[in-house]
Amino acid sequence: MAILEVEGVTKRFGGLVAVDSVSFSVEKGEILGIIGPNGAGKTTLFGLISGFLPPTAGDVRFEGRSIVGTPPHLLVKQGLVRSFQIVQTFADMSTLDVVTTAALVRRPLREAIDYAALILERVGLSGKEFLTPKQLSLQDKKLLEVAKCVATDPRLILLDEVMAGLTLAETEAPLAVVRELNAQGVTIVMIEHVMPVIMRAAHRMIVLNFGAKIAEGTPQQILEDKAVKDAYFGDHIDA
Amino acid sequence: MRPDFWPALRSPIPWALLALAATMPFLLPNYYLHILTITLVYAALASAWNIVGGIAGQISLAHSLFVGAGAMLASALLVKLGINMWLGMIIAAAASAAMGAAVSFIDYRFRLGHLSFALITMAFAEMAEIYVTNTEFLGGASGLFLPKDKGDLLAFQFGGINGVYWIMLGMAAACVAVNFAILSSPLGYNLRSIRDNENAAQAIGVGLLRNKTLAMTISAVLTSIIGTIYARYLAFVDPYLLVSPVLTIEIVLFATVGGLGTALGPALGAFILAPLGEILRGHLGGFLPGLHYFVYGLVVVGVILLMPAGVWPSLRDRVLRKPAAAGN
Repeated sequence: MAILEVEGVTKRFGGLVAVDSVSFSVEKGEILGIIGPNGAGKTTLFGLISGFLPPTAGDVRFEGRSIVGTPPHLLVKQGLVRSFQIVQTFADMSTLDVVTTAALVRRPLREAIDYAALILERVGLSGKEFLTPKQLSLQDKKLLEVAKCVATDPRLILLDEVMAGLTLAETEAPLAVVRELNAQGVTIVMIEHVMPVIMRAAHRMIVLNFGAKIAEGTPQQILEDKAVKDAYFGDHIDA
Repeated sequence: MRPDFWPALRSPIPWALLALAATMPFLLPNYYLHILTITLVYAALASAWNIVGGIAGQISLAHSLFVGAGAMLASALLVKLGINMWLGMIIAAAASAAMGAAVSFIDYRFRLGHLSFALITMAFAEMAEIYVTNTEFLGGASGLFLPKDKGDLLAFQFGGINGVYWIMLGMAAACVAVNFAILSSPLGYNLRSIRDNENAAQAIGVGLLRNKTLAMTISAVLTSIIGTIYARYLAFVDPYLLVSPVLTIEIVLFATVGGLGTALGPALGAFILAPLGEILRGHLGGFLPGLHYFVYGLVVVGVILLMPAGVWPSLRDRVLRKPAAAGN
């Protein structure tokens, strides 16, 4: 059963078509990877799905219902949460307070605090509960982004480059969290640039270029796809 | 509530301080009791403003609107229509709540940033002053005189300065308690996340309109009630004092110096700066005109340079030796 259906979604900023009639669906329990060169419209697509940007045309359905026009905080309550590519820091709140705020979506305060502490431990941030996000390393900030999402008890998580900027060794921790979540039945859509990571994690992938979907398939199929090679390396290489 | 709220309320320290403060009318000469009463008015106003300006980080310059509604509207209802001032206080508070909600909605509808929000609320405050000074019902430019305070509690009369002092003490304590309660509740977490980053707050399920409107409404109601009590104390309500944007600037200054977003900071800021201003004026005002402003300004600049986060957070961190994280 499809948990998320994106149908002909288009986003225009003036004359620029950032997302061009993109359609795909995500099955419940799946890990879907989204790749594409810089400026391909990946993050804009997440903005359209998560309610931060209204699409110019097209429809997005979450668990069968259209969610176009639903504000982001209500989507979180319905079980759809996103992370940000540019880590969103909270200047004055401790990491525990930030994750507690997220956990408040479904819990009373006392439980939310305990749950937040548990999640911080699970993603590997124990001992850093009382630091503010700006005191964290990039790797820990990314883990905090994941922890915030997890604390809202989502059924679908959109992860926007949570591995970017990390060394391959550093991606182990967030990757383990993603897999554990998935094993618990959470559906995951992830934008990622670190190819070895996404090749290992994703069940299925789609590729965007200039706002349009140019390929879809298993990681193996994507690697061998002619259009994908052209998008990344230019079509003169094969000649 | 956060686990530390009720124990703090059960602790004898705040109650002992409150009891000590309540004995002041028996100890202080009237001049100093007057200064202390004014200080309590400002402590209450700064605490009420802190809910919006500190905890939620929305620099509202419209709060003279709510003080003015509490003071001018409740007074006009009494003087012009003979409506009991208790009822007038409630009507004015309801009007303030409605205005606060309207301001929040405008902010939400047009996605005002911090600077636009400050400027637009300031424009509202300026308009309010012009409106009040040109509206005969509200006393116009000359203001309104309230009937003599005969100590009739049912008629919102507290029997002179002692009674008003006790009422204001209770009100200031209530405002600080409301701040503490908000910081210890889900609303506090939501507001702090909005202050730090609106997009990220939405992304973890925090609704902007609901939370901002709630904060503004609570703050407006408290501010309006303080305005009504202050009007009763002054007995003459002057629009150029009570509906003036200058009043808001003072409130913002006290809250900022004391420590934005903390439960105790804004009241502490008022307790440092309000008496200082009065005493400097009393002692230096006749000696060299303007000197008291100069000294007052030096003190404010000094405090802001030495303790940029505010007096209360600096003191707290120095005593507790832990990073400023908890927020109260």
